[in-house]
Amino acid sequence: MSRHALSVLVENNPGVLARVSVLFARRSFNIDHLVVGPTEDPKVSRMTIVLNVADDQLHKVTNQLDKLIEVIHIEELSDPSAIRDQLWAINDNGPRPVGAMAAAWG
Amino acid sequence: MTAQPTTPAPAQPALPSTTTGAEALVDALLRVGAEHIFGLPGGAVLPLYDTLYQRPELRHILVRHEQGAGHAAQGYAAATGRVGVCLATSGPGATNLVTPLADANMDSVPMVAITGNVPSTALGSDAFQEADIRSITMPVTKHSFLVTDPAMIGPTVASAFRLASSGRPGPVLVDVSKDALVASTKRITDGDLAMPGYRPVTEPGQPEIRDAVSLMLSSRRPVLYVGGGTIRAGAHRELMTLAELTGLPVVTTLMARGAFPDSHPQHLGMPGMHGTVAAVGALQKSDLIISLGARFDDRVTGVRESFAPHAKVIHADIDPAEIGKIRTADVALVGDCRPTIAALAAEFRARVEAGTVPDYAEWVAFCQRVQDRYPLSYDAPPAGQVAPQQVIQRIGQLAGPETVFTSGVGQHQMWAAHYLGFERPRTWINSGGLGTMGFAVPAAMGAKIGRPDTTVWAIDGDGCFQMTNQELATCAVEGIPIKVAIINNGALGMVRQWQTLFYNERYSHTGLRGTPTDPAGRAPVQVPDFVMLARSYGCEALRCDDPADIDKTIEAAMAVDDVPVVVDFRVHQDAMVWPMVASGTSNDDIKYARDLAPQFEEDD
Ligand SMILES: Cc1ncc(C[n+]2csc(CCOP(=O)(O)OP(=O)(O)O)c2C)c(N)n1
Ligand SMILES: [Mg+2]
Repeated sequence: MSRHALSVLVENNPGVLARVSVLFARRSFNIDHLVVGPTEDPKVSRMTIVLNVADDQLHKVTNQLDKLIEVIHIEELSDPSAIRDQLWAINDNGPRPVGAMAAAWG
Repeated sequence: MTAQPTTPAPAQPALPSTTTGAEALVDALLRVGAEHIFGLPGGAVLPLYDTLYQRPELRHILVRHEQGAGHAAQGYAAATGRVGVCLATSGPGATNLVTPLADANMDSVPMVAITGNVPSTALGSDAFQEADIRSITMPVTKHSFLVTDPAMIGPTVASAFRLASSGRPGPVLVDVSKDALVASTKRITDGDLAMPGYRPVTEPGQPEIRDAVSLMLSSRRPVLYVGGGTIRAGAHRELMTLAELTGLPVVTTLMARGAFPDSHPQHLGMPGMHGTVAAVGALQKSDLIISLGARFDDRVTGVRESFAPHAKVIHADIDPAEIGKIRTADVALVGDCRPTIAALAAEFRARVEAGTVPDYAEWVAFCQRVQDRYPLSYDAPPAGQVAPQQVIQRIGQLAGPETVFTSGVGQHQMWAAHYLGFERPRTWINSGGLGTMGFAVPAAMGAKIGRPDTTVWAIDGDGCFQMTNQELATCAVEGIPIKVAIINNGALGMVRQWQTLFYNERYSHTGLRGTPTDPAGRAPVQVPDFVMLARSYGCEALRCDDPADIDKTIEAAMAVDDVPVVVDFRVHQDAMVWPMVASGTSNDDIKYARDLAPQFEEDD
């Protein structure tokens, strides 16, 4: 098992967070952290997802995510630990513009 | 959300520039070519039904239960290759569609379900007959929409059809709030949603095709493992070309029966838990599995770790998420099966013409010997009793290869898969992935609507039949003359078979006529009387309980073509489905019959 961070661009539609959560629950992928925020494009949101999976499972996660119609783009971020720490800080300190932060790292 | 132009709308006389949401919905359905819709009304869809009343060009078939509407849409889609459409009201109407949606999702059936919901102002208030069907169906559909803006109804319906029928086909739900159906909106004549995240890959890459063919040429024991994707893709001709070009053995999964003719000498039949010894054995002994639109279902692989232990894998599928999901692929071919198989055949031919001649002769001969040694067979029933396998085999032979067959789930389904004999694609329609009892009758109804000139037989179990037979009323009233063969063994036979084999004959709640050990001493009783039941539905009905009458009963049923006909075949209760790989065991441990393991040559 190792930690991975994904930056996922999704259509900003109602229900899209539920759809992603249902997928993770159903396929038994464990989410460590998940943050949703806006992007410059009001029609698009960014989800930053940190998850703990075996390396050979990661492509299964991304394949399944990619299958969701509202998922536009998936990118693996390079430094999941740093991102996790930042996300912890957000959890501790209240909301901040995470979409922009994750974009800066991504 | 942006609207994109699609196909131009047909020329129409000048129409008012505004329309209601309900009219926009019907217009959109007609624009995408829908001709039939299976449904049942209720409060939330009343405005839509009022529009349907005025638009007879879209034929609505009033079902007796929404599950029937869903399976009918599936049967229609599977028989024709077009998108099946069903319609239900909010709340319970919508939740009754969940089983067919899940079924269609498992078996990649293109279908669109329309549901009404409470007015948008009441959404989220636990209003009367409110159910969050968009969320409920998220894990069992390709996609689900909720529309509250009347202007979005047309584009959303167009998108739903695009999603259902392109890429890997599947079910799409469109839930529309009642106020959106009533409200007036600008008339739109084309356009759908942008869906920037939806980009199905249809053509495989040429380098991968070359790698795949190299692997085929360097292997000694390849098998063409054919799944339902070949039927959905309409790739049966390409498959025939590839099979005959290579001379390789072919196995067709439960979902692919009919993709390759059963009469073809290269065909080893169906693999899996109840597969033929030759099909299961060929996969186990192969050194290369060429998977074409199949997904390594657990019913095919048995215990995964011991499935085809020496085989490399070429995996062709339109859904990238299937590749590597169960079994690692050595070569991945992402794309539609039709161009993929055509490309494999072209490359194979070119390489052979350039001088690489593969040597499969020994392997083909081995498979042939296994097939000759272990043909499909069944034990004779006790004297005077009817063998279910014989009934099904004779229906197949007498009805002929053009006939479309549907089935329920259970022993009768496995016998039907083996014994009907399929020669053409889209003639075998069953619930493979979800295994839904009650599929046969409504699916047959939908198939008959889609292909009115074709004979449609439902091969059903006595248990399954009791789940959805109310649709016979629909068939009688709407003039849909399907034929139903009830394989009546007085039991939930498939479950009973497991109790026979693994629970020491403790028949816990599988006897449909009551249990012989009834504490109150009640005698077994056959209820309902299927003949009387069918007649009360306005159907012809026949019974057969003597092996000598099998053919003449089938012929009598075939002579009826104006009303639905139901035949109650009273069959031998202890008949079992063989071969069988017991659940949780390896395919190597397949039993040809009870306590009879096949001997492969190296074990001799
Ligand atoms: C909706 C549903 N409930 C339960 C099952 C489990 N199940 C699988 S086969 C079977 C027996 C079916 O009985 P019948 O229709 O008489 O067919 P037979 O096996 O006797 O041919 C059951 C209960 C199922 N597949 N679907
Ligand atoms: Mg039965």
